[in-house]
Amino acid sequence: MHEQQAQHAKTQELLFELRVADVMRPQVICVRPDQTMTELRNLLREHRISGTPVLDGDEVVGMITIADLIAFLVSGESEARIADKMTRNPQMLFSDQLLVHVIRQFDETRFGRFPVIDPQTHKLVGILTKGLIIEGMLRAMERELKEEEIRQYRASHIFEDLVAEYKEIYLTYELIGRDFDRAGKASTQMKRNLKRLGIRPDIVHRLAVASYEAEMNAVIYADSGVMEFRIAPEEIFMRVRDRGPGIEDVARAMEPGYSSAPDWVREMGFGAGMGIPNIRKCADKMHIQSTPGIGTTVSVRIFTGREGEGA
Amino acid sequence: MTLKEVAEQLSARVLAGGDEDLAAAATSVAAGDMMSDVLARADIPDVLVTGLTTVQAIRTASVAGIKTVVIVRGKPVPQPMIDLAREESIVLMVTAMKLFEACGRLWDCGLRPRAGKGKAPEA
Repeated sequence: MHEQQAQHAKTQELLFELRVADVMRPQVICVRPDQTMTELRNLLREHRISGTPVLDGDEVVGMITIADLIAFLVSGESEARIADKMTRNPQMLFSDQLLVHVIRQFDETRFGRFPVIDPQTHKLVGILTKGLIIEGMLRAMERELKEEEIRQYRASHIFEDLVAEYKEIYLTYELIGRDFDRAGKASTQMKRNLKRLGIRPDIVHRLAVASYEAEMNAVIYADSGVMEFRIAPEEIFMRVRDRGPGIEDVARAMEPGYSSAPDWVREMGFGAGMGIPNIRKCADKMHIQSTPGIGTTVSVRIFTGREGEGA
Repeated sequence: MTLKEVAEQLSARVLAGGDEDLAAAATSVAAGDMMSDVLARADIPDVLVTGLTTVQAIRTASVAGIKTVVIVRGKPVPQPMIDLAREESIVLMVTAMKLFEACGRLWDCGLRPRAGKGKAPEA
């Protein structure tokens, strides 16, 4: 449902972004009013088109279509000039019009095609059909999707594409203590990386939460730290090592609600005593090794091969 | 209801997010100033109502996959927070209402926590 809405909004957005010139077919085949209907028939057949503007010099004086040709053939006349069978003074579009306005014109007039003229010179520059609008929009959508898609495709196939007995990806982030503008950045970047790698969304969520809590702990309490991620086909391993004060009582720190955080940490929205319990909840395996005065290492394993029951 | 209607109900000012973003639907809400409590939830709400005006509120939303953050009590929102919301494609708005009142209004509109015994009605 969400996705459909987003897709719909995307289509609408394109209608507001694209102009006639972006999707029209330039270099229009055209005819003169003094040409014959037989000439028109050959032209339509040769170019496999169903209609064309009629030009007198530089000026668009009419539109002639396959419907006009059929009417002429049915009438039994032996020959006629295009000038006598065309629709005179056709409605035209300007090349700088937005598609959203143009679509209304298609609906209201029920014409299948419109000549497109330059807004300044009023000279014919192209032709627009509904089919060309759809083609143009598909091209535009493809362009927008392509970049992220290529990234995702490349990344998600990396394990298949590379041949080795053991395949692992290591990613490392440096953490700077008390840098609260950047705090959490590594985890959000990591979340994006995992998505690109094609990791299952529930696993991405669990790793992102565990990583963010661990990152915040390191940034809040330590002078510096390192986050390492090892991504293998069957599991993701995360290790956050910091040079901080260490945890006096690791067992108590695991209890939900237990916190030794000072007020300034709470003011930042952390220190509710849920950090380490959150990490444990998200992890399949967790290990904390801490030495007061030296630092803390939090290790987390999440198995990617099977459905986890964590957050 | 749409996020635009959420903003109207709360008389909120939208700081990040365009018309297209505001057309998205919202059915569930979570509230709190403690980011770990938000992260501890297994359910991911559409909207987070909070008094926390640091970039961490946005980071938390991004990590948890929450699309909208509403700041209460009309607190001044620092520019880096607005910038990050735009970067992470998160809708950010601020209302003068207090946390309790903002939540009450949204409850009246039919918004609910995502999990829990009571099913959220179709808004």
